[in-house]
Amino acid sequence: MQQRVLLIVLLIGVGFGLSLLVSAMSLWHMPDNQQGYAPEQPINYSHRLHAGELQIDCKFCHSAAQSGHYAGIPSTEVCMKCHRYVTAPYDQMQQELQLADKEGRKPETIVSPELKKLYDSLALDENLQPIENGTPQSIPWVRVHNLPDFACFNHQAHVAAGVTCQTCHGPVESMERVSQFAPLSMGWCVNCHRESTRDGVNGREVHAATDCTVCHH
Amino acid sequence: MNAMNQNSDDHRSLGTEPRGLRRLSNGYFVSTEEAPALSRREFLEAAGFSLSLAAMSGCGRAPVESALPFPIQPVGAIPGRLQYYASTCAGCPAACGLLIGTRDGRPLKMEGLPEHPLSQGGLCAVGQALPIGLYDSQRLIGLLRAGKKAEWAQVDEEILQGLRQIKDQEQQVVIVTSTITSPTIQASIDSFLDQFQNAKHVVLDAVSSSAILDAHEQTHAVRVLPHYRFDRAEVVVSFGADFLGTWISPVEFTADWSARRVPREQSPEMSYHVQLESRMSLTGSNADRRIAIHPSNQGPLVARLADKLAAAAGRQLDEPLAPRIAESDENLVSELAERLWNARGKSLVLCDSQEVGVQTQINFINDLLGNYEHTLDIERPSLQRQGNDREVQQLVEDIRAKQVGALIVAEVDLLYDLAGHESLSAEVGEIPLTISFSHRVDEFAAIAKFVCPDHHTLESWSDAEPISGLISLIQPTIRPLSNTRAIVESLAVWSGQPQAAYEVVKDHWEKKIFPRRRSTGSSQFLDFWEQALRDGFVEVSSEAPTIGRFETSVLEPVAQERMSENFSLVLYNKVSMLDSRHSHNPWLQELPDPVTKVTWDNYVSISPRDAAELGIQDGDVVKVSAGKNGSRIELPALIQPGQHDGVLAVALAYGCKGTDRFAKIGPQWIEARPSVSENGLVGVNAAVFVSFHGGTQRYTRAGFSLAKTSRHRELAATQEYNSLELPPEVAPHGAERRKIVQHTTLAAFTKDAEAGAVEEHFSTETQLWPEDHPKPDHTWGMVIDLNKCTGCSACVIACQSENNIPVVGYDEVRRQREMHWIRIDRYYDGEDEDLNVAHQPMMCQHCGNAPCETVCPVLATVHSSEGLNEQVYNRCVGTRYCANNCPYKVRRFNWFKYPYDDTLQNLVLNPEVTVRSRGVMEKCSMCFQRIEAGKIEARSQGLPIVDGAIQTACQQSCPASAIVFGDMNDPQSEIHLALENPRRYRVLEELNVRPAVSYLRVVRNRDEESQHG
Repeated sequence: MQQRVLLIVLLIGVGFGLSLLVSAMSLWHMPDNQQGYAPEQPINYSHRLHAGELQIDCKFCHSAAQSGHYAGIPSTEVCMKCHRYVTAPYDQMQQELQLADKEGRKPETIVSPELKKLYDSLALDENLQPIENGTPQSIPWVRVHNLPDFACFNHQAHVAAGVTCQTCHGPVESMERVSQFAPLSMGWCVNCHRESTRDGVNGREVHAATDCTVCHH
Repeated sequence: MNAMNQNSDDHRSLGTEPRGLRRLSNGYFVSTEEAPALSRREFLEAAGFSLSLAAMSGCGRAPVESALPFPIQPVGAIPGRLQYYASTCAGCPAACGLLIGTRDGRPLKMEGLPEHPLSQGGLCAVGQALPIGLYDSQRLIGLLRAGKKAEWAQVDEEILQGLRQIKDQEQQVVIVTSTITSPTIQASIDSFLDQFQNAKHVVLDAVSSSAILDAHEQTHAVRVLPHYRFDRAEVVVSFGADFLGTWISPVEFTADWSARRVPREQSPEMSYHVQLESRMSLTGSNADRRIAIHPSNQGPLVARLADKLAAAAGRQLDEPLAPRIAESDENLVSELAERLWNARGKSLVLCDSQEVGVQTQINFINDLLGNYEHTLDIERPSLQRQGNDREVQQLVEDIRAKQVGALIVAEVDLLYDLAGHESLSAEVGEIPLTISFSHRVDEFAAIAKFVCPDHHTLESWSDAEPISGLISLIQPTIRPLSNTRAIVESLAVWSGQPQAAYEVVKDHWEKKIFPRRRSTGSSQFLDFWEQALRDGFVEVSSEAPTIGRFETSVLEPVAQERMSENFSLVLYNKVSMLDSRHSHNPWLQELPDPVTKVTWDNYVSISPRDAAELGIQDGDVVKVSAGKNGSRIELPALIQPGQHDGVLAVALAYGCKGTDRFAKIGPQWIEARPSVSENGLVGVNAAVFVSFHGGTQRYTRAGFSLAKTSRHRELAATQEYNSLELPPEVAPHGAERRKIVQHTTLAAFTKDAEAGAVEEHFSTETQLWPEDHPKPDHTWGMVIDLNKCTGCSACVIACQSENNIPVVGYDEVRRQREMHWIRIDRYYDGEDEDLNVAHQPMMCQHCGNAPCETVCPVLATVHSSEGLNEQVYNRCVGTRYCANNCPYKVRRFNWFKYPYDDTLQNLVLNPEVTVRSRGVMEKCSMCFQRIEAGKIEARSQGLPIVDGAIQTACQQSCPASAIVFGDMNDPQSEIHLALENPRRYRVLEELNVRPAVSYLRVVRNRDEESQHG
C-alpha cells in the first residue's frame, strides 16, 4: 500500500518534471549552447531589409571582419552614411513629399521612431543637427554570437580563407531579427575544419588546422 | 531547484499522513510498519531522476551581454586588433624607445622600438612593467590638500596665493626632481622659476652619478656625462659599474655590449670584459674576468692603472697617483694596462665610484688611451644622469636653515631618498608651501601641503632627450583614468598661463626643437612633428659643449686607506627596483633578482667566508649598524658567492611607504603568510646609510658592524629548488655533473669551434615513439645565445605581461609555486677567484618526444602539427603528472584561483590569452597567439610568412637580441643559420626528448684552455 502511494507521489513528481521539460524543450540545449538565440535588440533593425532586400554587403557594415578578430558592430556613424538621408520608411517619406508638394511647402523631416533611437545615440535633434552639449552614446546592442572566453575565433582568418558569412551565421539576409544559426560548439567547428581541409572551401585548397591551441590559447 | 520544492509540496498536498507512514519535519516519510517499504536508496534514485529532469529543464541561457560599438569610430581603430604607437619609456631616465601595443583603446604591451638608436628594440623589465602601474587601483585618483580630497580650482587658487606671498617675501622657491630628460618639462620648470627672484631647480637622483659629472667639470671644464659607446669597445674594464644591470642606460649598453660577444668560426673575435667589484653584480656575473676587490682597494687600483698607462703614454706625472699596492694587485694592474694599451681608442674604463678624485683618474685613463671621441662621446653627451649632489647638499642645509619658502617635488621621493638625514621631515613640514607631484602618498607627499598627482606616463604628452641631439616623444595611449594633471600643465597654471600639455610640448618643439632639425628634413613643422610622432624620435643637431683640454693638474694622489676591521657597506639597486617609484609594482616585486633569485625582499648579502665565521645562514635576520650610535637596520642575510670578504651589500628602493598594500597579495588561505616583512612593508629602507661626503652622495661606506639576531625570515628565492644541477656529493655514483650550461674559452673555440661540447655517449636512434608526426608546414623552434644573454630578466616580465601570468606573493614563491613561464637559471661554478656565473633562460622546450605528453591521462598536453607542445586548459584535470615527468621543470600549476577582484587591474590582461583557473597546469606556449596572428596576417595577404615577422614576447624585448625564434623548416631563416652554429647544443640532449629550443654555448674570452669555469 505504502509503496503504491509512494509510487503515485513519485510519478506525480516525475510527471511534473517532464511537463516542465516539455514546455522548455524548444529552448533546451546543452549548457552554453545558444543555438536559436534571438534576443530583442534596442533598435528593431532588420537584416532582411538591409542585407536581403537592399543587398548591402555584410562587410560594408561589419568591415572589421576582414582585418580583425571581431566582425564588430558598426559604429552609429556607419549607419549615418545612409540614414542621414533615409530617416523613415520609403512610402512615408514619399507621402510627405507629395503632401508638401500639394500644399506648396518645404517637406518636413519625418523620423521613424526606430531611427530616432539612432539619432539619439549620436545626440542629433529632429533635423539631424547636433544637440548642444549632447554626448554621443553607444547603442546597447545585445550580443547574439558569444563564444566563451577560452575560445578564440578570428574573423579575418576565415574571411581570408573564403568562408562565407552564411556558413556560420546562416541566412542572415532573410532574418528579421538575427538569431544564432549554428550551435557554435567545438564539435561543429572541428567538423568544418576537417571537412574544409579535405574538400576545400569554395574550390580553394585550405589548411584548417585542428590543433587545440588554434582556438584555445 | 524550483521543481524540487514543488515536488515536496506535492507530498504535503496529500493532506493527512498516509497510513503506515510518518512524515518527518523535512517532509520525507518513514515507514512506521514492518511491511516491505521503499528503501532509502530506491527513494533517492527516483528523487534524483526527477531532480535531474528539473535541472535539465532549468538549463537556460548564458547571461545577456551587450556589445557596445563606438558611436563615432576613431580613425584606424579596429576592434580587437593590436595597434602600436611609438613612444618613449619613462621608467628611468635612460629613455629607451617604446612601442606601446594598445587594444581597444587600452595600452597592454610594452615593446622595444626596433629603430631606436639607443635601445635598438630592447626594453628592460621596468619598462615592460609599466602597464600594471597604469591600471593600479591604488594610484591617487585625485589631488590632496593636507591629506584630504580637494578640487583643482581651489587648490590652484591657494597655491597661487602662496606663491605670491613667497614672491613678495623674496623667499626661496625650489623644485626638486630626479633627472629630467624631457626638454619640455625642463623648459616649463625654467620658465616657472623665472617668475621668482630666488629660485632653483635641484636634481636629486636616487642613485646618483654626480661624481662622473663633477670629474668632467674638473678635467674637461664641462659638467657632462659621457655617452659610453660599448659598440666600439674591444676591451672594457669596469670598476664596479653595473652597466648591464642598472647603471645609467642598461638596455643600450646591453645591446652594444652583446653585439661584440659573438665569436664566429671564421673570425673568432669578441670583446674582453673585466669587472672589478666588491659585490656580485649582474655585469660581474657576465664578465670574462671578474675580480672581487674590497671597496677600499678600488681607488688605489684605479690610480695604479693610471700611473702605468701614463708611463706607457710618456706622460709622466710629478708624483705617482697610487700608493703602494700588493704584489698580486700589481700584476693584475700590469695585465690590465697592457690589454688596454693594446686597444687604445677601442677600450673603455668605467667606474661607479662617487669619489670625484677616482673619477678624474678614470677620465685620465680614458684620455691616455685616446678613448674620448671614440668610446666616450662628450660632444654629444648623455643627459641620462644630471643629479648634482652638491646642490642637494646645499638644499638640505637651506631646509635646515629655514631658507626655503616653497618646495615642489616631482619624480622623486625626497624624504625617502634622503632618509639618512635625521629630522629632515620635521623641517620640511615647516616649509610654508610644499607640493608633491607624486602618483601616491610617498614619504614626501604624506607631509606635503598639496599633492597634485601627475598623469601616468602612458596617459601624458611629454618628450625626452637622453643623448644630446636625440629627442623622442612620449604620447598618450589612453585618456587619463583619474583626476590627475600633467606636471607641465600644473606649472603652466601656476605661471599664470594655463595651457594643455599637448600644446606645451608642441609649442616647445616648434620653437626650440624644429630649428635644430637636420637640413635633410622637411621644412614644414607639421611634417616634422608628424614624422617624429610616427617614428617616436628625431635626431637633431646638438650644441657641442666647449670642451677644455684635459686638465692634469686636478689629479690628486690617492691615499692608502686602512683596511678596517669593520664591514664596508655597498648600497645598490636591484635590476627590478631602479628606484622607489617602482616599489608599488607587483610584477617587479616578484621578479627574481638576476643573481640572487630572491623576490619580494631586500637582504644583506654576505660573503660565504664571513657568513661561516659569524655562523650566519641564509635568512637569519642580522642587524647592520653604522658605528656605535649610527642608524641601524635589520634584514635577513643572504650568502652571496663572489662577494668580497668584509663587504655587506643591501639593495635600495625597499621599505617604501605604502608597500603594506602587498600584505595580502596572492591567495589568502589558512596557511598564507604576508608578503611584507616585520615592519609591515616590503623590505627595509637602506637609504638611511646614504651620506654626503666630499660633495657627493656615497653608496659605499666603511665602518659597519654586523650582529646576528635570533630571528629568521626565509627569503623567497626561486633558484635553489629549480636548480637542474645536482651537487656532486648527492649525485649518484658515476653520475657526472650534467652540462646544462656548456661553456668554453675563446682560445679553445679558436682551435675547435665545437669545444666545450659534451661527448656524445648516447644514441638518438632508439625511439619509444613512432616517427608518424610529420610537420610539413612549419616547425617552430628557438635558439638562445647564452653568450649574449646577460640574465637581465626583461623577458620574464615581457612574458608575464603577454601571457596573463598572476602574481602569487612572497609566500607562494617560498613554497616554490611561482608562476613565471620563463625563468632564468643562474649557475655558479668554482669558488672565489675562479667563480663563474652563467645565466640560462629556461622555458618549455617544446620537446619532439615530450615526456609530459606521454603521462597525461586526459590528453591535456598534446603535440601540435607545427612542433609545439600544447597545453589545453579545459582538458586539464590537474594530476600534475606532466610536471613531475618534465625534465626541465618548466610547468606551472595553478594551486589557487589567483585573485582577479580588482577590476581596474584586470584591464592589464591580454584578451588573446586565457586566464587560467585553479587546478590546471600551464607553461610557455611559445606565444602561440602571436604565431597565430602572424600566420593569419600573412595568409590574408596571400603571402608566405616572412622570417622575423613573428616574434615571441621574450624575443621582442630582449635587449641583447639573444633569442632567435622562427620556422626551422625555412632554410632561409635566421634560426636555420643559428641551428648550424657550432656552438649550438640542447639541454639534456641525452634524454632524447628532442627539444625545439637550442642554446648557443658560452664562450669566455680567456687564454687558458682549461675547461673549468
